[in-house]
Amino acid sequence: MINLGTYLGISFALFICGIFVMIARKNIIAILLGIELILNAAALNFAAYSKFVNGNLDGHIMSLFIIVIAAAEAAVGLGIVIRFFQLRESIHIDDAASLQN
Amino acid sequence: MNSTVVTYLSQSKELSAAIAWLSKTLGFDANSLVSFLVFAVVCLIVVGVMATIGGLGTYAERKISADLQMRMGPNRVGPYGILQFLADGVKMILKEDIIPSGADKFTFILAPIMCMVGVFATLAVVPFSSGFMLANLNVGIFYLVGMASLVGVGVFLGGYASNSKWSMLGGMRGASQIISYEIPSTLSIISIVILAGGLSMGTLIGGQGGLPHQWYILHNPFAFIGFFIFFIASLAETNRAPFDLPEAESELVSGYHTEYSGMRFGLFALAEYIEVFVVCGVAVALFLGGYNVPFDLGTGAIFTEKLGLDSMLSQNIGQLLELGSFFTKTLALYYVVIWVRWTLPRLRVDQLMTLCWKYLTPIALFNLLGCAVWMYAFDGKSIYSLIFETAATVGGSH
Amino acid sequence: MFTNTLFLLSAAITLGGAFAVVYTQNLMHACIFLLASLFGVAGLYACIGADFLAAAQLVVYAGGVIILMLFAIMLTGGASNSINRYGLVKIAAMGNTKTFFAAGFTAIVTSLVLLKIIANVLKNQPNKVLAANEATVEKLGTLLATDHILAFEISSVLLLGALIGAAVISRPRKEKHD
Repeated sequence: MINLGTYLGISFALFICGIFVMIARKNIIAILLGIELILNAAALNFAAYSKFVNGNLDGHIMSLFIIVIAAAEAAVGLGIVIRFFQLRESIHIDDAASLQN
Repeated sequence: MNSTVVTYLSQSKELSAAIAWLSKTLGFDANSLVSFLVFAVVCLIVVGVMATIGGLGTYAERKISADLQMRMGPNRVGPYGILQFLADGVKMILKEDIIPSGADKFTFILAPIMCMVGVFATLAVVPFSSGFMLANLNVGIFYLVGMASLVGVGVFLGGYASNSKWSMLGGMRGASQIISYEIPSTLSIISIVILAGGLSMGTLIGGQGGLPHQWYILHNPFAFIGFFIFFIASLAETNRAPFDLPEAESELVSGYHTEYSGMRFGLFALAEYIEVFVVCGVAVALFLGGYNVPFDLGTGAIFTEKLGLDSMLSQNIGQLLELGSFFTKTLALYYVVIWVRWTLPRLRVDQLMTLCWKYLTPIALFNLLGCAVWMYAFDGKSIYSLIFETAATVGGSH
Repeated sequence: MFTNTLFLLSAAITLGGAFAVVYTQNLMHACIFLLASLFGVAGLYACIGADFLAAAQLVVYAGGVIILMLFAIMLTGGASNSINRYGLVKIAAMGNTKTFFAAGFTAIVTSLVLLKIIANVLKNQPNKVLAANEATVEKLGTLLATDHILAFEISSVLLLGALIGAAVISRPRKEKHD
């Protein structure tokens, strides 16, 4: 009953939700939430392939590194958001549209 | 599948007979149904016992603090006041449930539930005894660390949702304290994982023996320091004094649970007391030998040999001895936790952070390195076996 | 039977959390629903026998990234959905109908592309008997230390850089107004 198709379907749904959140929201932190959903979808995909197609643990290694890198990227991204807020007093992404200042 | 309560109980002939009879009556294989039922019953027992221990923890705290301060403590409700926690529970349930009008209702209700869920989920891997562990996961201790971080989320949400400055400040301080002290705590756990060679609770306890010289705390000097690092970091993780700034009565009114009344506050307090028990249990499992009974009495084999008892009965007696050993050590550590609370003054928040980042984390990193080097240099032998071997070779060469 | 129940529960929590992140208008609630979704993904990892991956997901995501997001929300003004901060007209921070339409259009285009790829994969997949689930901790440790040692070391340097960088970027500065 549980096969590669189900896992691909769930990861696909997560990916589409992540894309939706990334484009629909104007708050920078909400966009970062969408990025986390997309990264999770990709990691789930790798793990599913490793179980149903490959049989070895390469997909698990890839998922581990995705988790590590997602955490590092969330930290740096939120650091940038906080600095942006200290400068502009707003975390609306339309305020980040100009290269000046 | 991992060994659990079900695998232990399936050794008994009565249970196998019951499963066979049930399969015949129902028509399909009742194995998974019976194991699910056994799990449900054991979970209920564990949750009930833990909730009682949480309640008795409040009573013990009041009695021990009274003893330290030369007064009596509660002695009216029941013999020696032992039913005081029931009276407190009834009082809390009967109180009016107030939700502040500006509060975020969804988050306000969710925060104490998240604390409770985080703490009760860790009970699944706490090693009460070799047969009574709910799940001997391959990644037991790692899972426990993960679930304990949910409590930090619950504290933060509780502080945010109350829409009050005291609570917000207390919540942020509490959450930053919890996530900061996770680092020396996890590093100390990893040093022991290096010594044992696995993440599962069974491996961690199986590498130790019953007598104190076989425990990991006396394995090498790095593990000895690691025990104290873990203990201090766990005190800070559970918001116990001297690290209880988030709920400091004299400074923040009541910190992140200021606006909570009645049973919602009761859930926060219960989660804290049960988390202290879980953390003491983990310290016992990692450093103090876990449920191992001295002289190998825990396996029950000696009862079958010497007294000629039935194998299952002697195993049950061994399990009871292991349970007794685990609970004795854990409750002794619980007493030390309460003792520390009523002895030491509270740390300021900057002292707290300095202690974690400038002292505990470097020492824990150094411990990790030291344990790894010890495992490589001495082939994983404890300091006692090294001394005995040297003595044996010196003695034997004469 | 256990596996199927666990799978259904985890999939429900994952997808429910993800849809709630899309739908909600409160940033704080979106974070909490993301936490639920990440829990569900950990359960899905457990269903295919990736026990270490599930525990790592719990520790890193539920215990780390979510608290980071919550702190960032608090430090940058909270979850208020204010449109006009200084009287200037802006699109609402959590999106209005225009942005949702744009996102929906993008989502449809992306999903068509992805569904084409997935259909190809599902058509060509080999139907083989799966091995039983086994403990992955030791094997992953060996792989990380032998086959993938370079990626392991580089990721440790990356984490160090992220740690120091995030702290340096967001520390409070003495504002020099010129």
